[in-house]
Amino acid sequence: MTENNIKIVAFLCNWCSYGAADLAGVSRMQYPADVRAIRIPCTGRLSPKFILSALREGCDAVWVSG
Amino acid sequence: MDTCIEKIRAIGADLLAKGTVEKVIGFADGSIPMATRPMALTSDKDVDKLVFNSVCGLNLANYVSKNSLSNKEGKIAVVAKGCDARNLVTHIVENQISREQIYIIGVPCTGMVDKRKIAALFDDEITGFEEHGDTLTITSASKTETVKKADVLRHNCRVCTHRNPPVYDVMAGDPVEEQTLDHPYEDVDQIAAMDLDARWAYFENLTKNCIRCYACRNACPLCYCPTCFVDESSPQWVGKGQNEIDVTTFHFLRAFHCAGRCTDCGACVEACPMGINVRDFTRKLNKDALELFGWEAGLVLDKRPPLDAYSPNDPNDFIK
Amino acid sequence: MMGNLLEHMGVDRDRIHFSWISSAEATKFVDVVKEISEKVRALGPNKKFVKDYNK
Repeated sequence: MTENNIKIVAFLCNWCSYGAADLAGVSRMQYPADVRAIRIPCTGRLSPKFILSALREGCDAVWVSG
Repeated sequence: MDTCIEKIRAIGADLLAKGTVEKVIGFADGSIPMATRPMALTSDKDVDKLVFNSVCGLNLANYVSKNSLSNKEGKIAVVAKGCDARNLVTHIVENQISREQIYIIGVPCTGMVDKRKIAALFDDEITGFEEHGDTLTITSASKTETVKKADVLRHNCRVCTHRNPPVYDVMAGDPVEEQTLDHPYEDVDQIAAMDLDARWAYFENLTKNCIRCYACRNACPLCYCPTCFVDESSPQWVGKGQNEIDVTTFHFLRAFHCAGRCTDCGACVEACPMGINVRDFTRKLNKDALELFGWEAGLVLDKRPPLDAYSPNDPNDFIK
Repeated sequence: MMGNLLEHMGVDRDRIHFSWISSAEATKFVDVVKEISEKVRALGPNKKFVKDYNK
């Protein structure tokens, strides 16, 4: 990963943030393309293991959003 | 503490003879000096095997679990120091056992000694260990050393503020005076004072000798999952080798699974064959649990642990 | 608490973010993405907690 190509793993709740991301998409809003979204059924499904796994596999930051 | 043992034996013999309990779990002498082992007694004739001294560093709550009680056995009595009793409370709160299934023989505790500190005083193997009040006499082939117990206490016992069991059925001795500390989390603050890279280096150095034997996990009464995350193979969350990131991941997650549950009993450090102070991880979580949620594990039976319950007052400043 | 322990171990606090966005808040989503992206760019690539499979 270089300075200008960062990877942020985003764990998005299906019902909240994933919907918001979808809405942002259909509204043609512009936002940085550094985020790699992973849809989870609920933020309660998230385990600390997921966050560590993401870091271990080399992402630059983790974002959890409900 | 020498007098406690007579009372523990008397209580144990009485419980077994009357049939109040089916088993008594306590400490017995190990095969080498300065070692004790956990022991389950079923007959009142065996109570003389029970011991209680300053080297009973393991946590007996570990030997009372859902599995060991599942076959409708009768009650089990446990010889419990302050921390053991707190872990029994944690077991009850987490629905691993019910209060009716156990009989807690509370022991007021003045702390356990750090065997590594004592071993460091000698060049050769220790052949004898005797305890009289606050004085310990340790012998090896070449010399005899007399030390004050307070000088060789384990760190978690030095900073312990719950020496007496918070919950018990019977006490084997008068409660001891609780300590009050000015800086209970001095060790955590010392690490926190470093900058980020120094902290990372500190923890990397701390775990560099880890051989991944999982003794810390097995000694811990909190680690009762049927399959531990390190043993899961699909998906495999953490590699099984000596890779430093795998080692760090293991220690991080092991500690985090104890967040808000750890009683700082020190069994993990006691069990570590490499002398790693794995408490450096859990201490930070204990400090946070206390500061953020006002919580210390295992003190009351009727409150849920902080990470298990929602309250409108929960700190949420980390959420955008 | 997990963020705190990671920070205690030397991982930058800005590498882990939590937020709460309703499915109707597309603008907030965009704002948060921008904010996080800026913060992480400022930090540069992550070197800690990354497993090197070649080792």
